Amino acid sequence: MSVPRSRILDLMKAQCRIFSTTFNPERLRLGNKVLRQRLRGPTLAAYYPRKVATLKDLQNLYPTFEVVNDAEEDRLNKIKVAKMRGKGAPKKKRTAAESKKFGKKRGGGGAAKPPPT
Amino acid sequence: MSQFRAKKLDLGCFINIRVIRDHTKRKVFAEHEPERQALRYIIRNTTLPQRTRAQAQLQLSQMHCYTRGTQIKNRCIMGGKGRGVFRDFRLARFQFRMNALAGNLPGVKKASW
Repeated sequence: MSVPRSRILDLMKAQCRIFSTTFNPERLRLGNKVLRQRLRGPTLAAYYPRKVATLKDLQNLYPTFEVVNDAEEDRLNKIKVAKMRGKGAPKKKRTAAESKKFGKKRGGGGAAKPPPT
Repeated sequence: MSQFRAKKLDLGCFINIRVIRDHTKRKVFAEHEPERQALRYIIRNTTLPQRTRAQAQLQLSQMHCYTRGTQIKNRCIMGGKGRGVFRDFRLARFQFRMNALAGNLPGVKKASW
């Protein structure tokens, strides 16, 4: 019981039409497997939890209410104590000349020459 | 690279530079994925002229490395570690143990028989 090839091709064509796949009887490499793949981008991009809302946002939303930010207060207190003890961070250098002096000191290597008085 | 990095940090988990980098790579990959897939389709399609396919190959290979999916690495969301990370919990093994013992992970229980 042999079925003619044309009939099988007709069947394949109908099958492809119904299931919306590509009709490719010569089995050429059409790269359709790439088009069939799902995009992985959105799932991969959602891996890390995003920032939802911060205390700062809350304060900005309700400027009339007092929002207590413990961590920030602790930090400011610590800085205040350090400054009082003279252990605070140095002032930000504003000009190139000021920062240059600092850079020279650090990048010497050998014995540093004392600055001319 | 820093040209892809978001100007404002939008992460809510543990943050270090490696986590930020990986997050940036993920976003860049998601943005460029359709383009990459289109190029891959052109390269794989043998019925297209050889010249077109070669051009597509060149274009794909010249895209920035951040648009490549293989650059992405799952990192621990509580410690930023890159090794021994459970995919289901997105935690490294030690963070997983600590959180599981503390009962922060629903349904996780120490085995005993």
